[in-house]
Amino acid sequence: MSVDYAAMRHDTAAAPLASRRVRPGSTDRKPSVRGSFGLAVLFLLPSLLGLTIFLIGPLVASLVLSFTNWQVIGTTRFVGFTNYVNLLTIDPIFWKILRTTLLYTAEYLVLNIVLSLTIAVWISRLAWGKTIFRIIFFLPTFMPLVGVALVWLLILTPGGVFDWMMAGIGLKIPNLVTNADYALQAVVLVSLWSHFGYNMLLFGAALESVPQSYLDAAAIDGATAWQQFWRIKLPLISPSLFFGTVLTAINSLQTFDQVYALTHGGPGSATTTLGYAIYSQGFVTYKLGYASAIAWVLFAIIMMLTALQLHLQKKWVHYEI
Amino acid sequence: MKTEDTAKTHGVSRRKALALGATAALAATGMLSRPARAATNLTWFMWSGSEPEVTAWKRIAALVNEKHPDITVEFQTTSFPDYWTKLPALAASGKLPDIVSLQSLRAPGFAELMDPLDARIAADKLDVGAFEPSIFKALQRGGKQFALPYDFGPLILFYNHDLFTQAGLPLPKPGWTEAEFMAAARALTKDGRHGLAISVPDAFVVYARSKGAPYLNAKGELDLVNPALKAAFASYARLVADDKVAPLFPASGTLSSNLANGRLTAGSAAMYVDGPWQLINVKRKSSFKVGVAPVPVREAGSISVSAGSGFGISRTSQNKDAAWKAVQVMTGPDAAKYLAEAGRAFSARKEFQKFWYDTAAQDVVGAREGIDAAIKTAEPYVTTPNWSTVASLFEQYAPLAFAGSEKPEKVLETIQQLANQ
Repeated sequence: MSVDYAAMRHDTAAAPLASRRVRPGSTDRKPSVRGSFGLAVLFLLPSLLGLTIFLIGPLVASLVLSFTNWQVIGTTRFVGFTNYVNLLTIDPIFWKILRTTLLYTAEYLVLNIVLSLTIAVWISRLAWGKTIFRIIFFLPTFMPLVGVALVWLLILTPGGVFDWMMAGIGLKIPNLVTNADYALQAVVLVSLWSHFGYNMLLFGAALESVPQSYLDAAAIDGATAWQQFWRIKLPLISPSLFFGTVLTAINSLQTFDQVYALTHGGPGSATTTLGYAIYSQGFVTYKLGYASAIAWVLFAIIMMLTALQLHLQKKWVHYEI
Repeated sequence: MKTEDTAKTHGVSRRKALALGATAALAATGMLSRPARAATNLTWFMWSGSEPEVTAWKRIAALVNEKHPDITVEFQTTSFPDYWTKLPALAASGKLPDIVSLQSLRAPGFAELMDPLDARIAADKLDVGAFEPSIFKALQRGGKQFALPYDFGPLILFYNHDLFTQAGLPLPKPGWTEAEFMAAARALTKDGRHGLAISVPDAFVVYARSKGAPYLNAKGELDLVNPALKAAFASYARLVADDKVAPLFPASGTLSSNLANGRLTAGSAAMYVDGPWQLINVKRKSSFKVGVAPVPVREAGSISVSAGSGFGISRTSQNKDAAWKAVQVMTGPDAAKYLAEAGRAFSARKEFQKFWYDTAAQDVVGAREGIDAAIKTAEPYVTTPNWSTVASLFEQYAPLAFAGSEKPEKVLETIQQLANQ
């Protein structure tokens, strides 16, 4: 099944060299390195400018800010690593927020991947109506989350539709948004509803590209549908699965809007994620230096987790067919 | 044509007249430079909670233009909690509006963004005696005046008159007691309805002060962990957790006082505590007769806190003189009369408070005696510079105590710790 990509790469890389060798005595002047460099810079300039102004600039600015006590109002001075030290040693809720963020990410990631994969597989096996179902499940993805969360808040509010439904089916659970132990589940629920469609579409497309001949061959060999899924489909869509997992993990670590609209981090700090903490430290208590420090800690966490995922992918992602 | 006629009478040649006419036409179409008395466009940032409020404020902006045709005021608005988030963000990006709205509770924290008005007040010999002294003083910081007040008022109890009369209960009135209040709250809690809708922190501060509990220490610093306040908060939380006369509220983007307001106007709660400035929203949204009374007498009496808001000039404004003219109009007699009649503002100008009673509150039961009584025993709502933070921490953490997830005393300790962090 596997193709010798290394050999192919060698061939393609060798081709220009070979063609050059064919014409050793050619009178063509080699384009000057300096000239092509200048031209390259010219072509790169627009995106380079955009990158500098909109990405590198703010990044550096927030890094610098994280070493200051900037509070918008009042005098600002450099405080060295004080923000970071305070965050990790003094802040009474930082570790709780970190735990909440990781818990949310883990729960949401698993549920999102399982749900979106299940629905994608189910849709891929439908005889008709694939497009309709894909659109239906994808719909929530392009609705603005803040608006959606407000509707959910009406559903989940004490004495709202959700409580009524739970009572109706005899489930004795407290109101989701006012109970500290359950509030995070409300955020997970809303996030899942609004975001699983993206991964479903991604996995659906990957499943469509699995060659039918493999499945036919496996069927002739007596493989059950279950075996076909685990042994053929899953390995073949693993690159998409990996992509979906990494992006979902990054997004859920940064979760902000559903928390903002649903619970404002409450009750207490039950649903305060790092993303929301950055906002509340920055724009509720105006400690923008401190907020920047949290942002960089979040950045470091995301980098580490992504690096870990990239490392682990060697064990389970199959790029060759 | 008119130009030509005028030209003839002045004996100017036809050609010159034509040239003049052309110039006038050009000027009219804006192709030439502006005339000497250029219009000044001012920006004004103000919070609002409903469409009637927006209409009221736009009218105030128009009023400035009527008095000073060379000044136009552009009204920009957002919700109350967002206002205090956006204001520092605007300050940070150097985009503060010319006219800034300031609430007395937030004056300690935000005065730095504003220009002191003392020299202007003295130069124009503004009659500051026309304003209610407590609110005029509440918009000062370090002895300097940072805004002129447009409204003020003690927090009062709004109630659903229809529900009280249907239940055959005596109406809340000045001097009514805690026992009467609780009896009413219990009697009105039935059929999926609650007797009361509570909110934090303002309504709780009134509750605590009536119980004699302080929330600041002798130095004026935040002190939420004194035993008296802890006891008051525990009994406040019991209204929800044990007595169940008030509903739970979630920590959400909507202020608990707005949720309480919504419950009263929707008829799902019979009473709630808020400022008289809410009358505009309560009246327009509710389909029942509204009543007003002071908060009940508790251990220390019926103690309310009075607060208010005003307008000032931002420190970075390029049009401070024009802004000062506008602020004077916006807090002046005509604006006071309009806002009082619209029910948006219980005027900070003493002589205009009657318009609020006579027009906005004319069909509100007990308005005049209720507010008069509340003013007599009210204290100025003194706060700390980080009151925005304290308020949002209350919104976020208090539901833990009401839902019974955490002890009320512990909740206050957490808020105190996080506010002073």
